[in-house]
Amino acid sequence: MAALDVLAVDYTDYTDRQLAAIPLVVLVLALAVLGGWFLMTGAPVTPGIEFTGGTELQVTTGAGQAQIQDTFAALPAVDGQPTVTPTAGGNTFIVTTQSTDTDALTSAAESAGYTVESVQETSASFGSDVQQLGVLGLAAAFVGMALLVFVLFRSFVPSIAVILSAFSDIVVPLALMNLFGIELSLGTVAALLMLIGYSVDSDILLNNHVLKRRGDFYESTYRARRTGVTMTLTSISAMAVMAIVASKFVFNIPLLSQVGLVLVMGLAVDLMNTYLLNVSLLRWYKFEGIAR
Amino acid sequence: MIRENWRIGLLVIFVLAAAVALFAPGLGGGVAANATNGNVTTGPTNLQYGLDLSGGSQIRAPLSGLTAEGVDVGPQGGNNLTGQVASELNVSTTDVRVRTGNGSATVEVYSGNVSQRAFASALQSAGYDVQQGDVSDGLTKQTYDTAVEVLSNKISESGLSGGSVQTVSSGGERYVSIEVPNQNRSELRELVADQGQVKTVAYFTIEGNRTPSYCEGPVGTNASGNGSANGTGPTTCNVTALPSQQSFQDVRPVRQDQQTGEPVVPVTLTEEAAKPFTEKMQRFGFDDPANRTCGYGRGGGGHCLLTVRDGEVVYSAGVDPDLARGFASGEFVDDPVYQTSAQNASQAQGLQVDLQAGALPAPLNLQEGTSQYILPSVAQRFKGLSLVTGLVAVLAVSVAIFVRYREPRVAVPMLLTGLSEVFILLGFAATIGLPLDLSHIAGFIAVIGTGVDDLVIIADEILQSDVSTGRVFKSRFRRAFWVIGAAAATTVIAMSPLALLSLGDLRGFAIITIVGVLIGVLITRPAYGNVLRRLLTDN
Repeated sequence: MAALDVLAVDYTDYTDRQLAAIPLVVLVLALAVLGGWFLMTGAPVTPGIEFTGGTELQVTTGAGQAQIQDTFAALPAVDGQPTVTPTAGGNTFIVTTQSTDTDALTSAAESAGYTVESVQETSASFGSDVQQLGVLGLAAAFVGMALLVFVLFRSFVPSIAVILSAFSDIVVPLALMNLFGIELSLGTVAALLMLIGYSVDSDILLNNHVLKRRGDFYESTYRARRTGVTMTLTSISAMAVMAIVASKFVFNIPLLSQVGLVLVMGLAVDLMNTYLLNVSLLRWYKFEGIAR
Repeated sequence: MIRENWRIGLLVIFVLAAAVALFAPGLGGGVAANATNGNVTTGPTNLQYGLDLSGGSQIRAPLSGLTAEGVDVGPQGGNNLTGQVASELNVSTTDVRVRTGNGSATVEVYSGNVSQRAFASALQSAGYDVQQGDVSDGLTKQTYDTAVEVLSNKISESGLSGGSVQTVSSGGERYVSIEVPNQNRSELRELVADQGQVKTVAYFTIEGNRTPSYCEGPVGTNASGNGSANGTGPTTCNVTALPSQQSFQDVRPVRQDQQTGEPVVPVTLTEEAAKPFTEKMQRFGFDDPANRTCGYGRGGGGHCLLTVRDGEVVYSAGVDPDLARGFASGEFVDDPVYQTSAQNASQAQGLQVDLQAGALPAPLNLQEGTSQYILPSVAQRFKGLSLVTGLVAVLAVSVAIFVRYREPRVAVPMLLTGLSEVFILLGFAATIGLPLDLSHIAGFIAVIGTGVDDLVIIADEILQSDVSTGRVFKSRFRRAFWVIGAAAATTVIAMSPLALLSLGDLRGFAIITIVGVLIGVLITRPAYGNVLRRLLTDN
């Protein structure tokens, strides 16, 4: 694969510091974005209506975006401007509002002559419970993964290398979500959890080749990289295709396109983390850490 | 030979089992239907589809109320407690439920308007040592079970087919989840929003100005019929004659009364309810055929039986002379049949559903839940398109694999193995009757992804150089398997919080991913190693 040649860098040309610098700078930038977001909005990421509470309607109509906006903004139940997003067909729009008075919203839509395709309403209290559980689930998954990695490798530096790159694999996509305007939804939480599983795959593979097998460090790394990059690129291609096909421009299945997009971002970041950050930490451990 | 290839054999067995689970004539359809149609999405399989992929409405909401657990009541405490707490809190006795066992009781109050503090102090003034901290929001599992049963009855009584009601819990909080295919959201909401408590109240004029102690407070928020309220009409009295639906043994479908033409619901009382009811009728003068006029809502006074639903008087009527004679003679006790009327057909229909299905123990708190509606045609489109999305993802994986290996003997079995994994997983979903939603589809695609990753690890490990002997194969296979097993374990650990915490809609995704990874690690991925060995070596 062409990309394999691109990644066939000669690690001996670079010091550990140089290798680790790029992923660490990216991680720090991502954390800065999340911190800045927290200062500006009060949350490190933008939660969607599944977490804040509100209603999402999907309507089909010949009317224009502004007209739909007016229809819903005129309702007393709707506080502030509802968000209206056009999708693939041109006639289908997604309307999002903080209001949970679904009866008022649907009857307004129907009396304006729109076809209501779907309505999804979450109360604020249910949403905040779900959000709490989501954060808790993500934290529990991460801690569980970290413990397992320690049990598998039983040495500090290689385990930390895996955990750090998994951490970065989650944090960088979160920051990118902010920059691309993707809200945190149940689908994106699922994708982030899936990233924990996916990202650890290639790290475990690399650690296993370097630590548990005989042979030269660079030889082992090369083999692990050949397999690992194939794995990750295969997954990226599947997820990228899913993200595009399910996007609002083609099939309009938001859940699937969100999962796909977050995974593409996370897996791309994982390539960088595994073969720059993880490799440099392992090399340091192998040549200097053990010797000390 | 068989001993060497047991892994392939196991895979074949599982694929066959999945095929049986998916296509054997059962709930969904049959082999014949599939043969003629060949399209998985149109329903020839035994797969079940959830709301996302079939359309319909779903409402999830908790029941309103509070629970005090571990109230030390001693062996005799129960009965007294219900009345005491009800009068302290000024709620009906049907809104307080005491369950005793081993000298301690669980007390529930079925109302959204009682604070934890008020409930605790009501129990304290009843003489029990209960602190505010002992009172928690929410109701017991038993109450939820009752609610689920009542709601299922309501849905089937009102003629909606295919509805399902269940209790789901999310982070220690319980919710009732009601799903009805092809049903408009607001209609479903209307059906379940009310508690549907129906009681029958005797309303009658009393002589003199003193209100006897057996009289209860005014009924309904529209107390206009109660003459004494505004001082113009005669003094009247209310007494609950039938406290709840449990007094009815049999409820017949709505029909038209031959004389008045009004829609009526014929009912039969239970033996236990018939005697006290008749005694009340005798005591308050309803047994006199002359007392047939009813002035409720029309100036007040007279003798009326009020049908009260959730505190609202929905119908009032005098007693028919024949029925009155039955009360007088006591014949009614032996044949406790009468009919209760309503103003119009739809009200009669609602009354019939309420009487038949029973009342919800506590009202649903629709403000604290979620609701969802998907137009069936949109859901159908999702079903087809998500299948296409999955196939396109598989195609992308295939292209990547072929580009990398350029060797059909490696790549084709890899794809077939990945697909068989999904196939077995679909069989699993059909076996346990899991209703598939979009989140499950995302899970399937995730499984394809991790599956192919693992197959790449196996392939690369085994293809390093010529596999000449079985011993080399075994050792390489074992090394590949260490990585795969470790990766699978992390995925399972990463997903298990979601599967256990049951974060609503993500639970299905987590379960599919976990089961998929397990099927992969235990069955399909080892088989792929075996296939490679067969294809690449002579033994």
